[in-house]
Amino acid sequence: MASEKALDCLRRRLCDSSFVYSAFKSTPAGNYSKLKFLISNTITEACNNSVLLLGPRGCGKGAVVDMILEELKDEFPEIISVVRLNGLLHSDDNFAVKGKQRLLYSLLDAMQTLTSQSVVIGISCRLNILGDKKFKEILDVLSSVDNTISNICRFLYHAISWMHFESGSLTLDGFKNALSCMQRQPMLDKLQGASVLEFYILVCMNRLGSREQNSFNFNSIMKEYKAIQDAYKTSDNYSWSVCLRAFEHLIERELISFLDNRMRSLSIEYRPVRLLLSSQELHQGLKSNSFCPVSNINY
Amino acid sequence: MKSKRSLLEPEKTPSKRSSVAPATPNPSETRKKRRNAKKRSYYKKLAYDGGVFEVGDDVYVKRRDDAESDEDDPEAEECRICFEIGSSIMIECDDCLGGFHLRCLKPPLRKVPEGDWICEFCKARKLGKKVKLPRPSDGKKLRRTAREKLLSSDLWAARIESLWKEPDGTYWLKCRWYVIPEETTAGRQPHNLRRELYLTNHLSDIEMESVLRHCYVMNPREFAEANNEGDDVFYCEYEYDVRWHSFKRLAEVADTDNDEEAGNDEDWKYSNDSDCDSEDDSDFDDDTVGKFSCHDTPTHELAANSRRGRIFGLHKIGLKKIPEHVRLHKPTDLERAKSMLLLTALPKTLPCRTKEMEEITLFIKGAICEDHCLGRCLYIHGVPGTGKTMTVLTVLKNLRTEVDAGKMRPYCFVEVNGLKLSSPENIYRVIYEALSGHRVGWKKALNILNELFSEGTKIGKEENRPCVLLIDELDLLLTRNQSVLYNIFDWPTKPDSKLIVIGIANTMDLPEKFLPRISSRMGIQRLCFGPYNYQQLQEIIESRLKGIDAFEEQAIEFASRKVAAMSGDARRALEICRRAAEAADYRLKQMEKSSKSTLRQSLPQGKHLVGMNDIEAAVHDVFQAPHIQVMKTSSRLSKIMLAAMVHELYRSGLCEVTFEKLATTIRSLCSSNRELQPGWDDLLKVGCKLGECRIILSEEGAKHRLQRMQLNFPSDDVAFALKDCPEIPWLSKYL
Repeated sequence: MASEKALDCLRRRLCDSSFVYSAFKSTPAGNYSKLKFLISNTITEACNNSVLLLGPRGCGKGAVVDMILEELKDEFPEIISVVRLNGLLHSDDNFAVKGKQRLLYSLLDAMQTLTSQSVVIGISCRLNILGDKKFKEILDVLSSVDNTISNICRFLYHAISWMHFESGSLTLDGFKNALSCMQRQPMLDKLQGASVLEFYILVCMNRLGSREQNSFNFNSIMKEYKAIQDAYKTSDNYSWSVCLRAFEHLIERELISFLDNRMRSLSIEYRPVRLLLSSQELHQGLKSNSFCPVSNINY
Repeated sequence: MKSKRSLLEPEKTPSKRSSVAPATPNPSETRKKRRNAKKRSYYKKLAYDGGVFEVGDDVYVKRRDDAESDEDDPEAEECRICFEIGSSIMIECDDCLGGFHLRCLKPPLRKVPEGDWICEFCKARKLGKKVKLPRPSDGKKLRRTAREKLLSSDLWAARIESLWKEPDGTYWLKCRWYVIPEETTAGRQPHNLRRELYLTNHLSDIEMESVLRHCYVMNPREFAEANNEGDDVFYCEYEYDVRWHSFKRLAEVADTDNDEEAGNDEDWKYSNDSDCDSEDDSDFDDDTVGKFSCHDTPTHELAANSRRGRIFGLHKIGLKKIPEHVRLHKPTDLERAKSMLLLTALPKTLPCRTKEMEEITLFIKGAICEDHCLGRCLYIHGVPGTGKTMTVLTVLKNLRTEVDAGKMRPYCFVEVNGLKLSSPENIYRVIYEALSGHRVGWKKALNILNELFSEGTKIGKEENRPCVLLIDELDLLLTRNQSVLYNIFDWPTKPDSKLIVIGIANTMDLPEKFLPRISSRMGIQRLCFGPYNYQQLQEIIESRLKGIDAFEEQAIEFASRKVAAMSGDARRALEICRRAAEAADYRLKQMEKSSKSTLRQSLPQGKHLVGMNDIEAAVHDVFQAPHIQVMKTSSRLSKIMLAAMVHELYRSGLCEVTFEKLATTIRSLCSSNRELQPGWDDLLKVGCKLGECRIILSEEGAKHRLQRMQLNFPSDDVAFALKDCPEIPWLSKYL
């Protein structure tokens, strides 16, 4: 019971952004206190201001702003009203770059008048927009791939899910499992359930590609397939229509794709295709399917 | 209007109007009063003569020598047929606004019909018949309601802006006048509603004595929803600018009408009505804030996507009142400096642009002062933040005083900003709306404007005035076939156009981008606003900080030199100084906090000034490159990937690399430096992360191994960021 309670508590904390990012509050030289000073000053001195927060996704830009706004709402009740705009929500296809520019211009231009009092806080993960104020990462590198806080939280959440209930302890295995959950290999997963014939086709394409043959279609793949059958004398000799079905299946799973969208009117077997897997990945996939006779073939 | 009209055009409306103006305290009296202005007590709400008046209310205002006496003021309207008031239901004719009892009509009506209803007299009049209106029986005078008097300009309507009691016990109010369409230069136009009024930007002080009672002026939405509110309901959609004779939709005006109240710029005022709006600003600050909050529109109007392409109402952001306790503490020098350096704080004078101002003045005067106004064009260019728009607006302000003094012909002024138009064609609509107060589609507006400018048809009852058209961000009107610009620059070439176009844009060679037929029409008159040099920037900053001891002398010079070297943008310079002041303020407050907790010692005086270090930090904040910081703090694998991209770039000489090739390079780098071999999908993820930050540019992920990638910043920047990386020292080998 106690362990369940502990798990519950841990999960709740990991999901609560104000708890996770509360570490920002303690440092006086950090961005948190600077931003708070700036906004509260803007309120008390009745002027306008704008701030741009930059940083990669998941480093806590929005969370810090939320925390500050919550605190300021307590400090100055009834004065602050928050208007949240979201670039993804408040725009559509017709409203592309020019529309956004116009909105930004009007927003920032309106602040140059005396009647209004507002702070515009822009948040972006793109670095090439304006460049005004920087947001620093605070936590150390945990994962070499993605060192943002939200990523680490997600990892910890996975890890505590593997908690051992009887002992109530977090084991190393749990962390390892969580890490493998985080490091998914979608391409290899796609190869997981592929049939023998599909592997043949992929190997053929890889062979063609390694011979610097840049453009090939289903017919040239079939030729290569025939050549392999002749050379290795395997028993996996399938008819043309079965191969075509397997080929279509590969296209659906996005392991291979058409070279371009032109020549749509052409039937599938004549349209040029390309392989989206690298040879290493194909090798790995074949290794994990060691039962497959294709692995003997020299590709 | 009223008293104003007499001041503006003394030759047209002689003493008749001014003599009847609501008793305005005469100048000498005011001057005396201003000395002891502190004794005035202001009210939000005032019970006076049986009515309760509140700031923001609309009222009827009497004319002093009104022929009809006060008691002859029927609140209820009488029936046009039986001339009784009675309690039974009355119906209003949508044409003549006359009231009729349902039972008096022939045939009598059972209930009020849906939709518009027109009385039989109006119907008959429309058919061309002679109509004999019923007359009241002998001995009974035909009484007119306040609404009728107002619409025939025997009574005025105004909005209360503030209420106060003078030291001598009399009650006064500052009011903002309404005008009826007949009183505008455009006259009553077909699209005007019978009950339509225009709000003006003319304010006067009048005595409470002259207030008759309430009336109700509503915005279009309220008006559409109103029913049964009585006879004193009016419709107001536009503000009429009594100086420029232009119309603005009410949602858009708040910023302009405030700049004069707050700017308190003496020459902006009319020469004689010094009592009008040059009150002590401090007394009025709070009232202005309150004034706008009282007719706040519901927030759904501001919802971003409901009116795509039209952006308005932004001026109402954050119009809540600042509580007293926040304002009570005396601002320190640093805080005052900060507020002076705000971009919103408009300076009283415009230093360093006298030559340009003279040139623009000459241009406008040359176009207008001659008897027949010639159409002309002026193109003003210069980098952002060099005061182009502000200079033109200042010139127009100054010219305004000359117009008021009768030295110059009156003209109207229309300002358009290219970036605020949803499409270039909409400029026709905006211009026409500003000239007439009428909203139509852009095609119709174009037709009307064409007639107006090329054939000289009149828009109102009076002769057309010369029109100054200021187009900011002109380059945004550049359409593919350039027809919008063609039209705009073609109008001034017509003999009767009386149109003066001033275009403002950043690029110097905009006229060269035009088709030859446009640039020849545009003429050759150009004015260049060069970037400010450091002395000028210094002067601008110092003029704002006059009397505030917050900056070290060298600090201002340093900031000016820095900005002058980079862009010469005055906005930038002001922002840097403000940022530095903010940093200094932050430091000071932190220090006070810590010293309070430890030792109560007074801080050394010198620490209060903004020094070179603060400016340096602010410059760094503004001009620094954030991408280097991000590269430095990015994850281990991202750093390796960036290094590999640079390595690949040096080796192949091509800036693009496919993901497959990059992955092989990274794997070989890793294996030769005993680094953990990264998985293929990890690399893809890292590539995505870097792509999100736009540090690298990459194709969509569906292409997998074939997606092409490219560094978005020079390889030197990457080398600089990663060279001395403590965690992965081997990276520098490849940079």
